[in-house]
Amino acid sequence: MTTSAVAGEARVTGSPGGGVMRRLNMFTGIIFGVVLAVVGYFVANALLPDPEEGSHKSNQVWLITFFLWAVGFMVGVGAFTGPFRWLAGRDQSVDDELYLAGKDQGVWRYFKFTTDHKVVGIQYLVTVMTMLAIGGTLAMVIRTNLLRPGSKFVSPVIYNEVVGLHGIIMIIATIIMVTGPFGNFILPIMIGARDMAFPRLNALSYWFLFATLPVMLSAFFLGGIPTGWSAYAPLSEQGQPGMDSFLVAILLFAVSSALSGVNITTTAVTMRARGMTWTRTPIFVFGTVTSVMLGVIAFPMFMAAMVLLGMDRALGTTFYVASGGGSPWLYSNLFWLMGHPEVYVILLPAFIAILELAPVFTRKPLFSFTMAILGLGGVVGLSLFVWAHHMFIAGWAPALNAPFMVTTELISIPTGLLFLVLLGTIWRGNIWMRLPMMAAYMLLWNFIIGGITGIYLSDVPIDEAMHGSLFVTAHFHYTLLGGGLTGAMGAFAYWFPKMTGRMLNERYGSIGFWTAQIGFNVTFLSMFIVGLRGQPRRVADYATTFDVNNRISSISAYFIGLGMLIFLYAVIHSWRSGEIAPANPWGGKTLEWQVPTPVPLENFAVLPVVTSDFYGYSENGHARRGAHAAEPEAEPAPVASGHGGDGPQVIDLPAAEAAAPAATGEDGETR
Amino acid sequence: MTQVTAGPEQPPAPPAPPEKPAWRRPPVGPILLLWLGFTIIGVLFALYVPAHLMGVAASPTMHELEATVTAFSVAAAPVAALVWAIMLYSLIAWRQKGNERPPDNAPPIRDNTRTDAVWLVTSGALCLFLLIWGLVVVAPHGPAVLLPDQPTQGQVVAPLRVGVTGNQWTWDFTYPDNGGIQTEELVLPVNRPVVFEVSSKDVIHSFWIVQMGIKVDANPGETTNASVTPDRLGTYTVRCAELCGLYHSYMQTPVRVVSTADFIAWLRASGGSA
Repeated sequence: MTTSAVAGEARVTGSPGGGVMRRLNMFTGIIFGVVLAVVGYFVANALLPDPEEGSHKSNQVWLITFFLWAVGFMVGVGAFTGPFRWLAGRDQSVDDELYLAGKDQGVWRYFKFTTDHKVVGIQYLVTVMTMLAIGGTLAMVIRTNLLRPGSKFVSPVIYNEVVGLHGIIMIIATIIMVTGPFGNFILPIMIGARDMAFPRLNALSYWFLFATLPVMLSAFFLGGIPTGWSAYAPLSEQGQPGMDSFLVAILLFAVSSALSGVNITTTAVTMRARGMTWTRTPIFVFGTVTSVMLGVIAFPMFMAAMVLLGMDRALGTTFYVASGGGSPWLYSNLFWLMGHPEVYVILLPAFIAILELAPVFTRKPLFSFTMAILGLGGVVGLSLFVWAHHMFIAGWAPALNAPFMVTTELISIPTGLLFLVLLGTIWRGNIWMRLPMMAAYMLLWNFIIGGITGIYLSDVPIDEAMHGSLFVTAHFHYTLLGGGLTGAMGAFAYWFPKMTGRMLNERYGSIGFWTAQIGFNVTFLSMFIVGLRGQPRRVADYATTFDVNNRISSISAYFIGLGMLIFLYAVIHSWRSGEIAPANPWGGKTLEWQVPTPVPLENFAVLPVVTSDFYGYSENGHARRGAHAAEPEAEPAPVASGHGGDGPQVIDLPAAEAAAPAATGEDGETR
Repeated sequence: MTQVTAGPEQPPAPPAPPEKPAWRRPPVGPILLLWLGFTIIGVLFALYVPAHLMGVAASPTMHELEATVTAFSVAAAPVAALVWAIMLYSLIAWRQKGNERPPDNAPPIRDNTRTDAVWLVTSGALCLFLLIWGLVVVAPHGPAVLLPDQPTQGQVVAPLRVGVTGNQWTWDFTYPDNGGIQTEELVLPVNRPVVFEVSSKDVIHSFWIVQMGIKVDANPGETTNASVTPDRLGTYTVRCAELCGLYHSYMQTPVRVVSTADFIAWLRASGGSA
């Protein structure tokens, strides 16, 4: 693409007026998808033979309907215009690529198949916030039903549906909450690239996620899921068509995250700026890449589990049915092979984002980059070998309980290293207590509780008492919400000025943040108590002896909701009319802070050349507290971006290439 | 006048290292005090609260479990205390006033190998302690889930076999060695080892006797085992611990632990034999 533009060959630019691709957007996608799905539903109903027994036909019809929705939506949103054009011999021109990158389209570009990674990042951000809102509302319903024993706020059927959908919506939202918005918007700028390695694939990942949501939410109207988000067989085989919604949604989401994972990894490996060796690469890049690669390894297990479930439901196979020669344990193993790495996919980007911002808010280098890498690597490596700790009491393989206990307890060591790095960065820092740093402190508080209670559960005898109780629920909310979501909120507050051009109103933001955090701690500490005392999880009702602590949990859960609403208000208000943000409000050294706000379409006027890592806070001046008077700091930029002068030279790019659009990164050119 | 013409120049003698300036000396004292204080609170909490919350222990398994929870809590207390101490001290001593960006004059500590080593060794040792406790101390006479084929030590009485079947949404019990009676009521004799042979008719349930600290899944098409020796008379609770559909919350039943004589009487009354 670039070369042809440079060489000045005449290229066919598509049909007059820009072709179909300029008319496709989210709305055409929805229309096309719905039409195809409805047509498919009726055609499938008419053509498929009636079964002699069981409800396989309705499952088959729904699976076909959802599949056609996905295909129709993706075609209608314009995901395949590139391949179609190429097959038709009319490859996209430079103008087409710029159009796809959202040039000159204003707000409208957020509603189309736009390849600019910054647009995709904002799309992910808004989608994640929406999903968290839906999942959070469902949580309020759950806690209201548990306000007092015997309460029938919702029927048991609806309650089970709500529990299951709360779980899966939150799981999907938390998997993507850091890598989606910030892995997309920030990471390419942070490594000194103009876009991702595969910008079209990037947009594809996002729109696959978008297509997933109506499918997942349709479960509500189709009888819901009776199983919780873990969808254990054979209960999942009993379920209404809502279970088919669930399994198709998972397949779509797994494709989305796999594509995103390989895209982010390729970008980080091949497109770092000149001079950015691995030891100079910010820790956030390591955290994001390892997490998405862990997802690429793990999520296909979930896909396999769902495909087999779909076959059992729609075709009458018996993979998970004991009476047919199958085993529910096949499902459990496949699920947890995904399920355990998945929690680290949720946690690590958030923890690493906090490690990335901590030096900025303590004004000193990240403590022990080496230990951070070792901790990250240890967690990721071990996480693939611990899955059966979710099955200690399943009776599947009691002889394996001891080895899995060993691997699970070993994970506490690399996790501890991440704590060491954060505490070491705080040690003697000049602590700037803005909202991102508040999140760092709450991550420490919440995750020490979450981590320690996890160690209890890793011990097989203790797990024998605690498995399936609310102790487990409180543990994973502490790690995923208290650790993961808190870290994500800190990352959001940190990168908000760069992504939106405004400063986040810290007064309302902090009020919301602290209300939610205090509410969160009271809710789940109270839940540990009922868990220890013997209340099972996923129950719509409970014995009267658990009354008091459930009421405390429910009332303080309302404060979580209130706090998040206040935070949301702060976000919306600031985004629309907040104080305009300077390019580098925090004095950060990483590359995203060295570009203007709003970030230009191609990020950098001239690609930077990196000469040192980005944690050199307070290393340049000679001033020390209590010693000499502070000298004005000479801050040689860690990036040589000038023209001429001594030292590393910026490679002068041919003028045409420098002006060429970024969307041609698919050629895999390294500059 | 001596001429230094030949031989290499001697480098000047290095100056004596200066005394460490104030900012280089770590604030060990105050942080140690905070750490000690939090540890004491934590250990006191650990010794009394978790086991108390877990409540009545109706078997040696549960007694050991409560002891394990207490031991783990006591071991965890200094770890949490360290994190809290550093957090609190940092907020008191290092936090900058106001909203403006602080100066870039904090000590540029890139790494401290000794700290890294101590941290690694300590966390490794703690992990080892947990593993030894879990595998060695508890296992030989512990619950069947760890080492399922270990015979229980000092066995003089044959264990009582009870078949447990979960079905949506009740528990059914059989006594295969006592006339094969089937009942929805679980009654056990005190101080006699029991082996539960657990299965399910439909979906996965989980058989949990709360106060005895045992739990094992009930899987369709498989039989899993859990063994325990109830050592306390009383009425306890069986709950289902795996979401099994609509009335999962209500899938619970009492278990009565009675004297051997009462147990035999109950068996006879239910149509079985001792």
